[in-house]
Amino acid sequence: MRYAVLAVPDFALHALRRGEPGLVGRPLALVAGEGRRARLTEVSNEAFGVAPGLAATLAMSRCPGIVLRARDPGAEVEAHRLLMAAAFTLSPRVESTGPGCCTVDLQGGDPARSEALMRLRAAELAGAGLPLRAGAGATPLLASYAARCADPVLIVRDPKSFLAPLPLLFADPTPGQEEILRGWGVATLGALTALPKAEVGRRMGAEGVLLWERAAGESQRVLRLAEPARSFAAEWAYEPPVESIEPLFFKLRRFAERVALELRGAGFVAEKLSLTLLLEDETDHRREFRLPEPGADVDGWMRVLNSHLETVRTDARVAGVRLVAAPARPQERQEGLFDAGLRDPASFWENLARVAAIVGDDRVGTPVPTDTHRPDAFTMERPAEAVAPPAQAPVHPPCGPVLRRFRPPWPVRVVCDAGRPIRLEEGRLEGRVCAALGPWRGAGDWWKPGAWVAETWQVEMEGGGVYQVTCTGDGWGVEGMLD
Amino acid sequence: MPGPSQTVSALRSLLAARFPERARRPCGGPAAAVRAIDDALGGGLPAGRLTELVSAVPSGGGQTVIARLLGAAQAARQRVALVDGADGFAPGEVPDDALRHLVWVRCRAPGEAFCAADILVRDGNYAAVVLDLRGCAERVLRRTPASTWYRLQRAAEGGSVAVLVQTTLPLVPAVPWRLVLDTPLSLADAGAPRESVAGRLAVRTERSHAPAAEALAG
Repeated sequence: MRYAVLAVPDFALHALRRGEPGLVGRPLALVAGEGRRARLTEVSNEAFGVAPGLAATLAMSRCPGIVLRARDPGAEVEAHRLLMAAAFTLSPRVESTGPGCCTVDLQGGDPARSEALMRLRAAELAGAGLPLRAGAGATPLLASYAARCADPVLIVRDPKSFLAPLPLLFADPTPGQEEILRGWGVATLGALTALPKAEVGRRMGAEGVLLWERAAGESQRVLRLAEPARSFAAEWAYEPPVESIEPLFFKLRRFAERVALELRGAGFVAEKLSLTLLLEDETDHRREFRLPEPGADVDGWMRVLNSHLETVRTDARVAGVRLVAAPARPQERQEGLFDAGLRDPASFWENLARVAAIVGDDRVGTPVPTDTHRPDAFTMERPAEAVAPPAQAPVHPPCGPVLRRFRPPWPVRVVCDAGRPIRLEEGRLEGRVCAALGPWRGAGDWWKPGAWVAETWQVEMEGGGVYQVTCTGDGWGVEGMLD
Repeated sequence: MPGPSQTVSALRSLLAARFPERARRPCGGPAAAVRAIDDALGGGLPAGRLTELVSAVPSGGGQTVIARLLGAAQAARQRVALVDGADGFAPGEVPDDALRHLVWVRCRAPGEAFCAADILVRDGNYAAVVLDLRGCAERVLRRTPASTWYRLQRAAEGGSVAVLVQTTLPLVPAVPWRLVLDTPLSLADAGAPRESVAGRLAVRTERSHAPAAEALAG
């Protein structure tokens, strides 16, 4: 097989339906013309008793509940871009043949891989609301015949036996040619190609030869190649503006499916996602998401976007949405033999992103103490992919119980005798101190703004419990409990 | 007519036969590296189960348990998540080396902690998830619906993560293991090596899964 054709039957109908969740499963027809002249052009399988060409009024009486809609050019453009994105994952040489149809030059590719990819894309696009039919053959024409007969993928390996039973209409005869051939008793492509080509040409002229060649699937043509996507973005305007997040989720998933396919076709993954909600009051809400792990997994993207959108409140209705994916090369690395890495990196990073959406980006991560003596100084960093082997045991192992901090420290009044705390008063922690250790004095950053000075004591309360109290410039405070 | 103990024993056997997965004593969880706790739990925190550690007195040693758990998990090269309900963990108290495998979630309210724990317990990358609710308002914790705890238990059951819930009062309904730290540390412990401080921690077992396991084994 050298060429493949990806086509979506009733393309305009499916493009409209995949953009509106309310139309799924309902009888639907596309209408052209207005008033009495309105006629059905495409009809969904759910609409019984009606057919293309029927007057709209008649269709409504024959099929109560039928939804009549005009074509939606915006939805068709979006759906065609999805189809093209799917085609570019098969080969970089793709022609946009027509609405809902594209031809792919597969020359040089591995046939088995191409077939597997076509099946995969057909399943993916069916899930995305576009029932794709894919056919492959030695010529673009043969591939297009195969696509018309496919369910959902058909590879033509023996053109003669494939073409023989196909009706003559596949070769697009003119009405005159059709009448002549009917008179000869020719109704299939096989019957026509059984006649000598030269004899057909002698009786029907050059047009007859072209028809014979089309019937034999021999017509060759040069593909008008399309350029692959260079920006990975999608935008939609809502009319009327929306107030709830369900339409946003629905549209974003559709966008994400297309953008992810475009990225995959170009050999990229997304590193960052940028979401913009265009509001009715002409302001916008923007948010950029750095993906924990670069990827082109739509479900992963949607989890990140959903986590954010569920918490968003806007002052005005949403009039439009824009999603932009920043491309990056996929990460390729080999784990060390003894690395204790993540079992499921995608789930790890996604879950961290979900937790970050709940508590805040700066409140999740691995704490790294800062190189200073300032109490409670640390930064939150991105967790490591692999758990490193333990370092050598420290020369001075940690001593004593561990401090559990009260953030912020509890203000307290400390009564001292000869410089030692003997009683805590006027705070959440009160009582007599039965033993005290200290003081530990510290100071730092005196050469710059934010200088600090602290005097720390560890005190054991008469009622039980060991606490750490500190005197800073702001007064005394209970820093935490030694626990 | 069989006595109550025989009836309970028969009921346990019946449940064990009907639901072998529930009755099997889970194993494979990380060691807490605190002798009293590991002895009470039969070797370490049970994987796929919740363990409640109640710090009934101030300075009961709950934070020392977390620090020891981090050290043990680092030695075993396992990952730990600490969902800190009242943002009380002090990174400076633990050697830097024992922090590299820690994912610390600093919550502002118990509600955030429950949501975060619910997510992390389902993640298959952690050996232990510590849900530290000490320092959270008791009034709020008491109002936590039982369904929240059951949901957490069901989430843990499906995986290999050990969940340690630290509280100051018994909270978790139907928890398989509830241990109580009821002996306070004193200022005299301040200079002692942490290992010996951990060795001195006293734990009272208030609820244990062990009888069912013994019944099974027997």
